[in-house]
Amino acid sequence: MAIPHFIAMLLFSFLVSVAFAVLSKDTPRDQFIYGAKVFGAFVGVALVLGWLMYFLPHR
Amino acid sequence: MAKRAVVEETKPKAKVESAPRQPPLGRLIWLWVAAWAVPGLGHYLLRRKWRALILFVCIVSMFVFGLAMKGQFFATGTESYLESLGYFGEMCVGLAMPVAKFFGYSGGDPFFVSADYGTAFLVAAGMLNVLAILDVHDIALGRKP
Repeated sequence: MAIPHFIAMLLFSFLVSVAFAVLSKDTPRDQFIYGAKVFGAFVGVALVLGWLMYFLPHR
Repeated sequence: MAKRAVVEETKPKAKVESAPRQPPLGRLIWLWVAAWAVPGLGHYLLRRKWRALILFVCIVSMFVFGLAMKGQFFATGTESYLESLGYFGEMCVGLAMPVAKFFGYSGGDPFFVSADYGTAFLVAAGMLNVLAILDVHDIALGRKP
């Protein structure tokens, strides 16, 4: 199964953030908020790093 | 005065009641093995059914996506320490890796376009299962609700 790297990154971020949220927090509300934050952090940091690397010299 | 005496009498009792009970070592080992073998099973045995279901779905689907993207199975006995670490990381998913081998998964294709991501999915699934095992340990000891 060949999927675009961005979709694979979103999928990875979603599954890991759900697991982190379930393991770290106890109430459903806290789990949802923490999971959303972790997911946003994963995607945001990946996009920022991606744009930073875009400006590096390449062939 | 009488009120104070009542408060002082009740305090130590409350402490004794809230102290977590340590499970026997055999039960603890059984929980570790169950949590390792099938993601979420340890939580299920501790009656955390929703947590067990969510962890099972997350970890197993991560592993299956890793297989679908032709992620690499590492092996021990090579010169590279990183490969050995990768092997132990993937083994942390439990029975999923031997089952995938049993059903004919050849160990991935490093030249496939999504293979690197697939390998990351396989190892991350194992690492999440380690966190789940530690969570089971904490719940069994009464450190977590």
